[in-house]
Amino acid sequence: MQLEVMANRGKILMERYELGRLLGKGTFGKVHYARSLESNRSVAIKMLDKEKVLKVGLSEQIRREVTTMRLVAHKNIVQLHEVMATRNKIYFVMEYVKGGELFDKVAKSGKLTEGAAHKYFQQLISAVDYCHSQGVYHRDLKLENLLLDENENLKVSDFGLSALSESKRQDGLLHTTCGTPAYVAPEVISKTGYDGAKSDIWSCGVILFVLVAGYLPFHGSNLMDMYRKIEQGDFRCPSWFSHKLQKLLFKILDPNPSTRASIQKIKESTWFRKGPRGTLAVKERTPSENVTTNAPPTAGVRPRKNTHEDVKPLMVTNLNAFEIISFSTGFDLSGLFIREECRKETRFTSDKPASAIISKLEYVAKALNLRVRKKDNGVVKMQARKEGRNGAVQLDMEIFEITPSHHLIEMKQTSGDPLEYRELLEDIRPALKDIVWAWHGDDHHQQLE
Amino acid sequence: MGCASSKQFKRAPRHGDAALLAKETTFSLDEVKALYELFEKISYSIFKDGLIHKEEFQLALFRNSNRKNLFADRIFDLFDMKRNGVIEFDEFVRSLQFFHPDTPMADKIAFAFRLYDLRGTGSIEREELKEMVLAILNESDLLLSDDAVEQMVDQTFKEADLNGDGRIDPDEWKAFTSMNPALLKYMTLPYLK
Repeated sequence: MQLEVMANRGKILMERYELGRLLGKGTFGKVHYARSLESNRSVAIKMLDKEKVLKVGLSEQIRREVTTMRLVAHKNIVQLHEVMATRNKIYFVMEYVKGGELFDKVAKSGKLTEGAAHKYFQQLISAVDYCHSQGVYHRDLKLENLLLDENENLKVSDFGLSALSESKRQDGLLHTTCGTPAYVAPEVISKTGYDGAKSDIWSCGVILFVLVAGYLPFHGSNLMDMYRKIEQGDFRCPSWFSHKLQKLLFKILDPNPSTRASIQKIKESTWFRKGPRGTLAVKERTPSENVTTNAPPTAGVRPRKNTHEDVKPLMVTNLNAFEIISFSTGFDLSGLFIREECRKETRFTSDKPASAIISKLEYVAKALNLRVRKKDNGVVKMQARKEGRNGAVQLDMEIFEITPSHHLIEMKQTSGDPLEYRELLEDIRPALKDIVWAWHGDDHHQQLE
Repeated sequence: MGCASSKQFKRAPRHGDAALLAKETTFSLDEVKALYELFEKISYSIFKDGLIHKEEFQLALFRNSNRKNLFADRIFDLFDMKRNGVIEFDEFVRSLQFFHPDTPMADKIAFAFRLYDLRGTGSIEREELKEMVLAILNESDLLLSDDAVEQMVDQTFKEADLNGDGRIDPDEWKAFTSMNPALLKYMTLPYLK
């Protein structure tokens, strides 16, 4: 390794940066200090083997996120200045952060006070919230990714770059060489598909716990034991945690992603807003108590899966051009096999923003006496209140973003009797007219009739 | 579009033909026979010659024989393996098997690639992607600014064209689709099983 350092040092990269010392060797590859020859600015450059990256696979989502990261700027996020590539290598030119890792600080002092942790947690949530609003997810948040600048402000690194981590294999399992699956949300362990926003929130909870406790919330004698604990949300707060902090942690470290606190809920929590000041430390976890005005009682007792989960904000799936194309009625050969009336899917486009679409869907559901359940990945689930011929009719409304002001909504029956669904649809369609730009495959019919 | 005035009248497939199709495709003999009934219904809907013409295909898909759609055209063209302007029964079966739930993903990916390679150059060019984007927007009655369209095409193209040579080749397409499996949802018809 020393030899490589020597070899790279003083080397000019792409005629733009002079490479300096090796800063670290992470899961991504090597990180070097460098200086821009134009601006003299200090930067950190992450170097990756293109071949390795391609082997791991660079999803379209991640590419979009990397593209986005180049455009966003937030005081608590390590800025990605640019991405360069040669035939064999990819270079991420990033802001150089001087203060070191928060990890070292915690390691040195054992743990942080709630006050100190409060400041970092607020900055962490601010950064995560901002990136999520831009459609970028971290997916690998852990203490080691949190850096400090010279003013002791938090800087989150590697946003949107997690897929490049060599530790992540295609099988969806996380093999971290440093042995930290401890930050991983249960749904990430159990399934391959998960919601980046929700799993990031879980990791923020683990980070908060570690900062104040000085150790990980989930640990076991072996990996399986640890996974079991994560999946059950089985952790204990040490006695020095304040009551408000415990309450917040139980809301965040909820193994059920659909009931897990959203960023909004975290921001509304007492501990987040006010910090530890004025809150009394209690000896053990206390069961649910209705103490605050706007936060639902959740501490200790986990809410069961309920029928109305109002989780905000609802992230909608952004479609790439090929995905949009794939929605063409011309590709839908189901018409050859079933009668028009039996089609389970109906689509329409809307020129309203996602939030307006969602509130309209909720409004219509209420008017038609349907139960609504929101999911985080752009799906609004609805269910008839009464049992039908074949159970209660259920449908999904999935919202896809074409552009921020153009959406495609797919309605799909997921259970119940097809005829009852058609009847319901007859009621839903006119009720949605304010947000409907055009029903797919419908226009020409109307012209004909 | 050539309405090949084929005089050949196709009656129910001889047992041997059906068995061969069952052997060479994902379908069982019974399924091939069931597909024949479907084929017969469609191919006798307008021209009554036992061949599926473009208009009949459009009628079956859209309940409207005059509805033009770029993507339905592409499907028709690929089904029309002999390129004589009509879909014959064995073309129908052999093409539909790509939509079978049990067909390997790799085959579906390759089929979709041919769908999008509008000019048959062996790669998907940026202009082709743009043409398709414009077609779907038109189909959905969506009016997007030229800039928005360019941006969308650029972004997706950049994501898919890994080596940046201005073409999406089959390997890049494979990589892109495996990252975006939802892209090929329409390539699987549960009704075929």
